[in-house]
Formats: sequence, structure tokens, C-alpha cells
Amino acid sequence: MTPAADIPLKEPTVSAAAGDAEQLERARIDASTRVPVLMFYASAMVWLLIGTLLAGFVSFKLHSPDWLSDVSFLTWGRLRPVHMNVMIYGWASMAAMGTAIWLMARLCRTTLRHPLLIVTGIWFWNIGVLIGVIGILMGYSTGYDWLEFPPYAALVLFVAYALIVSWAVMMFRFRRGDQIYITQWYLLGAFLWFPWLYAAAQAMLFIVPVQGVMQAAVGWWYANNLLFLWFGAIALGTAYYMIPKVIGRPVYSYHLATIGFWTYALFSSWTGMQRLVDGPFPAWMITASIAATILTIIPVATVGLNHHMTMQGYFPVMRYSPTLRFTVFGAMSYTVFSVVGILISLRSTARYLHFSEASIAYSHIGLYAFFTMIMFGSMYYIVPRLVGREWRYATLIKLHFWASAYGVGLMSLMLLVGGLTQGADQDDTSMTFIESVASVLPYLRGRTVAALLLTVSHFIFAFHFGLMLFGLGRTSTVPTFLNPVEAEGGEPHL
Amino acid sequence: MKGLVSLFIGVFGTFAFSWVGLTVIPNLQIGALNPQMDEEGTDIYPAPKSGMADRGRRIYAANGCIYCHSQQIRPDYASSDIDRVRDAGPSPRPKWAERRSAPRDYIFDRPVVLGQERMGPDVANMGKAAPTEEEKPATAPAASANSPAPGQSPPANASAPKPGTSGSPATSPAPPAGSPPGPPGAAANPSPAASASPNPTGIPPAYSAAWHHRHLYSPRSMSLDNRDSTMPAYKFLYEKHPISGERSADALQLEGRDAPPAGWEIVPTYEAKCLVAYLMSLDQSHPLKEVKTAAGAAPPAGSPPAAPAGSAAPAQPKQ
Repeated sequence: MTPAADIPLKEPTVSAAAGDAEQLERARIDASTRVPVLMFYASAMVWLLIGTLLAGFVSFKLHSPDWLSDVSFLTWGRLRPVHMNVMIYGWASMAAMGTAIWLMARLCRTTLRHPLLIVTGIWFWNIGVLIGVIGILMGYSTGYDWLEFPPYAALVLFVAYALIVSWAVMMFRFRRGDQIYITQWYLLGAFLWFPWLYAAAQAMLFIVPVQGVMQAAVGWWYANNLLFLWFGAIALGTAYYMIPKVIGRPVYSYHLATIGFWTYALFSSWTGMQRLVDGPFPAWMITASIAATILTIIPVATVGLNHHMTMQGYFPVMRYSPTLRFTVFGAMSYTVFSVVGILISLRSTARYLHFSEASIAYSHIGLYAFFTMIMFGSMYYIVPRLVGREWRYATLIKLHFWASAYGVGLMSLMLLVGGLTQGADQDDTSMTFIESVASVLPYLRGRTVAALLLTVSHFIFAFHFGLMLFGLGRTSTVPTFLNPVEAEGGEPHL
Repeated sequence: MKGLVSLFIGVFGTFAFSWVGLTVIPNLQIGALNPQMDEEGTDIYPAPKSGMADRGRRIYAANGCIYCHSQQIRPDYASSDIDRVRDAGPSPRPKWAERRSAPRDYIFDRPVVLGQERMGPDVANMGKAAPTEEEKPATAPAASANSPAPGQSPPANASAPKPGTSGSPATSPAPPAGSPPGPPGAAANPSPAASASPNPTGIPPAYSAAWHHRHLYSPRSMSLDNRDSTMPAYKFLYEKHPISGERSADALQLEGRDAPPAGWEIVPTYEAKCLVAYLMSLDQSHPLKEVKTAAGAAPPAGSPPAAPAGSAAPAQPKQ
């Protein structure tokens, strides 16, 4: 048996010549996911817009601190955690769950059972995020990064998650066909890792609190693992589905995919402590995390190579397919994310970058350039299949892509360069501290410009998504291409 | 089927490996440290914070101070933290620290607020930078004088006083009378510090309690140098009152744009007092056996540490 024969890529290969029965079955599966997945996406969009506006406030207030500062719930120090948590639990987690559930149903080739339970779970999740946001604004933030929600909000999120994901995991039981596609590995991993992580962090910080600095270790362990094992895993799984699907070609190597998955799970879960480099901790903890961060280059290389070889010869399709363009951008950003992660963790560079804005750039490259862009891509693919309409305006999709790409690019550049300046000035003891603040201010203003670009991008996307939701998309059998396809081209499943 | 079982085991295994390796084992190593003391059982460090300071830490966390201020000093071989001096204060300017931070410095902290960024300076030794003249005894709440255990402090978040309730300590010249938890040493500070100021600009001595209050109220009014400061003003932690009879002892000395109209005064709420008490209690200057002190002051000779050392010291002990 050659490795190629192992590739269980039924979905992508069959779709090229889909029979009527297959078409019908897929339509039935999509229909069963319609209400929950659209609800996930609609909630995620609302949180995305709120989070984007908050990001603008936070970015602006950081260089113009006197603006709207006299009201307790508008103070920078409360809006910043609200922005982060809205993006993490409101936008990113809900978009991730929507996409993951749709993919799961498709790949298990089974209808989604009990969608009403999931819908209830979505309501609970939204309520949980709302309670948490109000808690932070009222001044009850816990002070642990990415876990600022008061513990009672976390409890609501937990109930919601159980309602949602138990049935997503149960789809495995009813799946048809023996083979488990690589996307399902990532999704199943993410579905299980998230509740374990969240429960472990909540238990060790609030239920049986650990002593002193161990709280910070648990906090960063959670935050980094959330980034990798929850958001990263779902993003990679989605990319493994979307790229072969859109270009109608199997994944280049199944073995590479396996190596990529297990090295990813093993190494990325050991990162986290590098965010505490040279802090009051046993040195071995930090060294282990730095080593793990460097080793993440292995999954990056295997996953990157795999996607690249799959895409080989098909890169021009990015001219037409919105899904592919966003997904490939995200997949490439995964490499950038990892490289930046290594650069800011090494002890020699951390001396300058550790306490600077560069760590903010790192989070945004991971959560936005990598994860969010892949989610946008998957939404461009999935939403038309749920509402039975095609995206109305190719121009809006293009605007969305370029505003997002330039926005996050500019933001990362500003924060990395600004962070380096800031960190170098702080290391130079002949300069006063305030000079290091002054040196980073121009970059922070540049970051506000980037935030404006992203705001424009998200409102465009939300408008377009709204049109789809209200049945105002195009009625057509041909998907919306970014550019007109030459007469003979046109893959029907773009 | 077999594939699914091995997948599940692998998924669980990687998680468990990371959880045990990065949280459980370190917790065995540094998760149950005791305060350090000398042979006679005196000179105990660190001590739990007073009720007010403990509550101040929650206010510090809830208002996001943690996103711009770190509370950890890196070792001299990895940074210039120890060589850095503060921007304000009498010459020679107070140093950021004499030594690096160690796990033992934080054993009573909950939440622990190590911080992650420095848009503002590190505050691990903020209390140490307070002026040392006559009012020294009053500014050392971390010393042995303070008794209340952290367990006795009220669950601050559950019963945070809203501005309405803080009216009584604010209008009364003797704030401790109206404040439920422990003896708040630092709260008595504003008056001596403010009156002792010979400063013609009206700015209180740097890092005194009165200075902190004014800095929180109007961060960019402190000197010409800190116009670039991006610290938000925390005016919502202060209240404006008409002066009834005598001026309150803890009213802020403000001028220019910040000054209240005649007949009015700006007084800190109870929350602001807690926050300042917390800031003034931050002090990691006490030597630790496991950490080398920069000034060459040899760590006190004595028996090996009672609890396993954090092994965070530059010179790593053998395992």
C-alpha cells in the first residue's frame, strides 16, 4: 500500500465528480447544521464588532490617555481586558465552534443530532460572555491574563460548552466510513483540550488556588495552550480541509500530516513559560518552554510543507477563491507566528523584547493573522452552503481581505519595531524611563491607524454577512469569484 | 475502532504531560514555600499584607494596572533592571531594586500580579522608594508591626464599597475610624507628607502617599518630564466635596487645571487609600538566602533554607 492510498480524502476527491446521491446527502447534512452554525456565526460577528470597537478605544487611549478616562468602566485598564476576552471567548471561540461543528458533520458524514441543545448552549455561551464582560467593567476582573472573567461567568461558559460539544463529539459515534481525516484529529483534540485546560486553570486559580508565582505559571500555561491547542488546532484542522477541498486535490502527504499533528500537540503544549523569561521561577521551567517554542518549528515546517506541496501549481486559484485566499494567508501566518514566537522567547532577544509591545504583536499574529483569517476563509465557504445564496459583491470580499491583511500587517510591524525601540531604551540605563515611553508613542499611533483599517474591514464583512443572513445573497449555482474566471476555467466547487 | 482509541489516548497524553510538567511538578518545587526567618525566629520575610493593602492589590488587578506595570526584577545577567533608577525622587534617585525577584517574595500574593509589559516602570519596590525622613515608621506596613492575617481581610471583590459608603472616611479627618479592616498604617500618611513638603511647586515628596494620590489623580501634572506618560488618570477613585468647616487632612494638593473650585476639595475614596496602601507596601528589599543581593551585602549566613529553595538563584544549587 503506498502512502497515497492511505489518504482518506473521500470528501475532497469525490466532490470533483459528485453524484446526485452524494449531493443530496451533503445538502441534508448541511441543512442539519444550518441553525446552530449560523447562530454561532451571527453571535461571533456581533462580538467581533464590539471587540473591534473596543480595540480602537484601547489603542487610542494608550497614546491619548485623557480621552474618556474619568468614568470607571471606561478606564483603559478595564477596557483592555474586555477587548481581549470579547475577542477570545466571544468572537474567536464562537467562530471556531461554528466552523468545527460544520466540518465535523461533513467529515463524519452524519447529520447533526439535537441542534436545539446546541442552540441552547449558544445562548448560554453568549450570556456567559456578557456576564463576564459586565463583571470586568464593574471592577471584578480577576487579574489573570485571558482569565479575567469572574469565576461565575466561567461556570456559565462551562455549562454552555458541555451542551454544545458533547453532541459534536457524539457525531464521531455515528460517523460513516472507517477513516478519520486529519482535520478530525485536530478538531477532536481541540474539543477535548479546551475543557481540560479551562477546568485545570479554573481549579488551580480559583477553587484550590496555588501559591504565589505558581498562579502566574498556571495563567500563562493556560493562555498559551489556549492559543495553540484550541484556536491553533481548529485553525490548522480547517486549513487541512479547505485547501484540498477548494483546489480539488488530496493532501500531499498523510504521513507528514501525522507527524505535524503529534509534534504540534507535544511541543506547543509545553510552551508558555517563555512569557515569564528570567522571572522569579526555577530556570528549568522557562528553559523547557523556550526549547519547546524552538521545537515548534518542526510542526510548522511539516504543516507548511504539506500545504505548500498540496497547493503546488494551484496558487493561481487564490486569484478567484475567497476561501483559498484567506486560508492560505492564515496558513502562511502560522509560520510567521512561530518564527516571531521563537524570536521573542530566546533569552538574548527577550532581554529587549520581553516587557515591550512585541508580545502584543505576537498575540495578534497568532489570534488574527493566523486564526482569524482562516476562520474568515471558512465562513466564506460555509455560509453560502447554509443559506443557499452566494456572496453578493466580490468587491466587498476583496476590500475585506486587503483591509484585514494590511491592517494586521501594519499592526504587527508597528508593535514589533516599536517594541524593539522601547525595549532597547529600557535596557539603556542612561535614559530615563519616560524616554522609553516617548520612543514607542509614534508606533502606538501607527497601531491606531491599523486598528482603523481592521474596523473598516470587519464592518464590511459584517454588512456582507448580514445580507447573506437575510437572504439577500445572489441566487446562482456559481460561487462568487474574486475575479472573473476565464471561460473554460471555473472549478464548480470553489 | 482502533484509530479513535489511540487518537484519544494521544490527545489526553499530550495534555497530561504538559499539565504535569509545567504546573504540577513546579508546584511541588515552589508551591509550598514558607517565609524565611533567622535562627531566633524573628526577622520574618515576607509577611502578609495588611487588610487595606491586600484589598489594594485587588483594585490594582481589577483596574488593569497589571497591563503596564510589572512587579518582577530580572537578574543582572539578563537585564539592566537592577541598574535602573526611578525617574523621580531626590538625588541619588531610588533604585528599582537591589536584587532580583524570587518565588518566595510572592508567597502571600493572591492574585499574583507579576505583569507582562512595561509601559510604566516596574513597581516591585515601590514602597521602598518612599521618602525616608521622619515618617519612615509610618511607611513600612510590610514590617513586623502589622498583624492581620490575609484570611481576615474581607472578600474585597464581593463587597467593594461604592462611592456612597466611602463618604464617611473621606470626610472624617481620622480615616481609620471608619474603615473595617486592620490598622492601616499608610492611610495616616498623607497629612505628614503633605505638610512636610518644603517643595515650592506644591508637589509632595516623590513616592510618598500624597504623591501617589496626586499621581493617580493627575499623572501628567507631576513634572515637566512626564508629559509623555500614558498613564490614565484614576479620577473615579476620588471624590469632590464641598469643604465643610476645616479642610480634610487627606485632601489632594492640586493646582492649575486640576484644582477644584474654591470651597471644594478632592479627597481619596476608601478604594484609592487601599490602592496607595498597597503600592507603599511593595518592598522586596529584604535579603533572601537564595538570591544574591547586588550591593554586595552578603546574604545572612545561617542554616540552609527551611523550604526547598526556588533554585531561581543565579548560582543553582545541586538537585
